[in-house]
Amino acid sequence: MKSFLLKISSPEGDVFSGNAVNLSVRGTEGELAVMAGHVPFVTAVKPCDCKIELESGEEKTGRIDGGVLTVSMDKAVLLSGSFRWLEQ
Amino acid sequence: MGADIKQLRTRIKSVDSTLHLTKAMGLVASSKIRRATDSMIKGKEYAASLQETVQMLASYEECKKSPYMAQRDGERICLVVIAGDRGMAGGYNANIFRLMRDYPDARVIPIGKRACERFGGETVLAEKFTFAQAKAIADGVCSDFTEGKIDKFGIVCTEYISLMSQQAQVKWLLPLTKGEGKSGASAIFEPDEITVLNGVIPEYISGMMISCVKESFASEVAARRVAMDSAGKNAQEMIDKLGLEYNRARQGAITQEITEIVAGSGA
Repeated sequence: MKSFLLKISSPEGDVFSGNAVNLSVRGTEGELAVMAGHVPFVTAVKPCDCKIELESGEEKTGRIDGGVLTVSMDKAVLLSGSFRWLEQ
Repeated sequence: MGADIKQLRTRIKSVDSTLHLTKAMGLVASSKIRRATDSMIKGKEYAASLQETVQMLASYEECKKSPYMAQRDGERICLVVIAGDRGMAGGYNANIFRLMRDYPDARVIPIGKRACERFGGETVLAEKFTFAQAKAIADGVCSDFTEGKIDKFGIVCTEYISLMSQQAQVKWLLPLTKGEGKSGASAIFEPDEITVLNGVIPEYISGMMISCVKESFASEVAARRVAMDSAGKNAQEMIDKLGLEYNRARQGAITQEITEIVAGSGA
């Protein structure tokens, strides 16, 4: 599967930076997922569990307390004031 | 003469304990500097990304209608004032309070023990400032701004220039100014530009606040280290001077005693 560069940034530094296949969060209009080749896109993110699917097929989940998601050409940046990984 | 010697000895002792204190505080500050500057850099990166996004959004024509971009002529100012939790940091706290003299009528939200003591309100520690606290303040400010209760919002903080120099400043955040970003970029906004902007602003303000608190804390630690260094130097100088005076007085007393003995045996 094609992957895209994902960066999750919080005031404590970059929480995640690397390639991902799928990112799903809850936007203002409901659940949404970002995959490689997504059109440039900006939305505010609501507090939710954020799921990241890595190239290896591994899935990571983190809880975010709102933020903003910006998708540009094959790069997604999720800015969130507080982010913490959930135990698998 | 005897009383003089005793007085000098007491003074030397007290200056010596001050020297120990300044040394200890300087060491604590040195050990905190690295952590504080690392944390500051991370916070700044986050704030820069947020600012970029907000500037990009603000450059869209549609966003002009956002309540956050309304330029009002009123003079109701709200300021978040970030000062330190402790003193003994040179002019760090004093510079912030001096800057605040320009805004005597502003509504103040203090962060840091010293600011809370001065402006009143619940004590909020700058060193342990959390995102949840920032979010609560940001939400309050945003609702007040959209309801028209305040016309201008800013953060009074200290800019970290280098280890040796820090500068108190006001960062104005609201109302937003129209950015010069690439408004031509065709991106999809969900649901639309203005809603995204309005949703992002509380996040932006809390992010900026966190970043400013981190930067101010790094400035405080750096200022304290420099202040403690020079205080230590002054204390050492004082001890040297007092030591000289003490020895002179002691020698004087001995000389006088000898003179008295010699005079006594001659008689």
